[in-house]
Amino acid sequence: IMAAGEDINEVMKEYLKKEEFMKYEQNQELIDQIAKENIYLTMEIQKLEKELQEAPGSSQIKEDIPEAKLKFTSLENPEDDSRFSNISCSFQVSSQVPYVLQKGEALITFEEEEVAQNVIRMEKHHVQIMDIGVEVMAKPVPLNSGVRFQVSVGVSKMKVNVTEIPDELPESQMRDKLELSFCKSRNGGGEVECVEYDKQAGSAVITFVEAGVADRILQKKDYPLYINQDCHKVVVSPYMETHLKKFQVFSGISKRTVLLTGLEELCLMDEEEIGDFVNIHFQRAKNGGGEVDMVKCSLNEPCIAYFQE
Amino acid sequence: ACFRRGDLLHNLQEEQARLKMRLQELQQLKRELRNSPQDKVPFPVPEVPLVFRGHVQEGMEVPKSLVSDLQICYPMPGGSALVIFDDPKVAKQVLRQKEHQIELEECRLRVQVQPVELPVVTTIQVSSQMSSQRVLVSGLPDKLKLSEEELLDKLELFFCKTKNGGGDVETRELLHGGVMLGFAKDEVAQNLCRTGQFTVPLGGRQFPLKVSPYMSGEIQKAEIRFQPVPQAVLVLNIPDVLDGPELQDVLQVHFQKPTRGGGEVEALTVVPPGEQRLAVFTTESS
Repeated sequence: IMAAGEDINEVMKEYLKKEEFMKYEQNQELIDQIAKENIYLTMEIQKLEKELQEAPGSSQIKEDIPEAKLKFTSLENPEDDSRFSNISCSFQVSSQVPYVLQKGEALITFEEEEVAQNVIRMEKHHVQIMDIGVEVMAKPVPLNSGVRFQVSVGVSKMKVNVTEIPDELPESQMRDKLELSFCKSRNGGGEVECVEYDKQAGSAVITFVEAGVADRILQKKDYPLYINQDCHKVVVSPYMETHLKKFQVFSGISKRTVLLTGLEELCLMDEEEIGDFVNIHFQRAKNGGGEVDMVKCSLNEPCIAYFQE
Repeated sequence: ACFRRGDLLHNLQEEQARLKMRLQELQQLKRELRNSPQDKVPFPVPEVPLVFRGHVQEGMEVPKSLVSDLQICYPMPGGSALVIFDDPKVAKQVLRQKEHQIELEECRLRVQVQPVELPVVTTIQVSSQMSSQRVLVSGLPDKLKLSEEELLDKLELFFCKTKNGGGDVETRELLHGGVMLGFAKDEVAQNLCRTGQFTVPLGGRQFPLKVSPYMSGEIQKAEIRFQPVPQAVLVLNIPDVLDGPELQDVLQVHFQKPTRGGGEVEALTVVPPGEQRLAVFTTESS
């Protein structure tokens, strides 16, 4: 009985194994498939996370300032004496706020804010363009936010920056060597007011008593530093102070310009010609309009329209 | 082995459900961001009215910022003069000799000449983030009969009082459509933002003002270049023998003489010995 029982067990085991094997096969396929899908999902998530991280919150603005010709305008006598110790360069930067005008959209700027707001309030406008009647929707223009700020950079007439100072002497001794080298008039130096030495960075800021010494030294890129018998060349550069003022994030709001949509069916027609029809329609008081400053239609290609103050 | 495989499958399925949910969340977030303006900050910022004046750009390039009001202030020492020639070639000729001798009736004036090179910023990098110490006060009425200084004083007076939830004010700036106030302590700014609304007396009347977080900026990098002004010559170390108007005439005559390498002078300004001035340069178009 025992043997027979064992036999049955064996048969059962065989059977179960077979079934399990099939299940195993299926499972393996499923596992591979899910694993593949999971990898794809993870990649998509990472991509989106990166994209979203770059959008709001903290951000970096990098601006290349275009070269412009400079012109002497006036001679001033400021009360604040500290302004004489720097050559200062100041300017204002402000974002240009763009709106991407899609195909079938138009922008219309009215002279009066009330007219623009009235056109938006009426919402639907029936505009006759040649022999076609077009249903145009008027909406406020959704605008992005931008930043604006003032920069002033002062280049000192009293100080120079020194870098690549060899790390050969204790701090206080090096400070003395720097002062001695930079007060040598035969090398273009002058009386030194103070030395700020950063041993770790191998740099220093030298302040002179008189204006003009820094200018003279900066005519060359390096300066001789004497340490005992050796003469080292250290690098000299202008000493700069930067200030950021009136930094402001703002959101653009369009009060006189209105977005018109629903011109899709006019694509491939002349943008300016259609613009004239739109202009004529919205000039008329009986259509709820008024004096129009500017119309821009986008019928063939999307374009970027810039909003200004 | 079979059991472990079942487990693995189960784990993978759970993982997939989790991933799918996360992806949906992110896609939703992206849709929300797309519907609202792209560079939107997570709290309201002052609105600046803008208008479309026909400035368009075909294609899809990154928009550039507008740089305006460039001004360079160049200190001039006592006993110096700035000469602007009509023709840059003349300036170049004058600068060929470092020293000029100006003939007077009884003596000669020995002066040094130098080119004028102005530092201009070529690249600027600014980072911005939400400030923990600064707030933005907005909702200021348009027609206030207060000067900038008076307005800032009124606001500081209100927001420095502890009974109004304020504290010591360290910085203040009038912005477009608002005022930035910076506090000595972090908690003050945070508490004020939490309250959000304040009724503030300004010029004899009460106004409802809003306090919200402030995005502050910091210069990360600024690069400069020295740009020559080709028409300009700086004259230095003028001896103290003539008074202002007379010196002006003498210099003018000297630098206009073609025999001395000079030419037509557009402008000439003198800083008398013992005094100092700032020469202001701006961009040519403005």
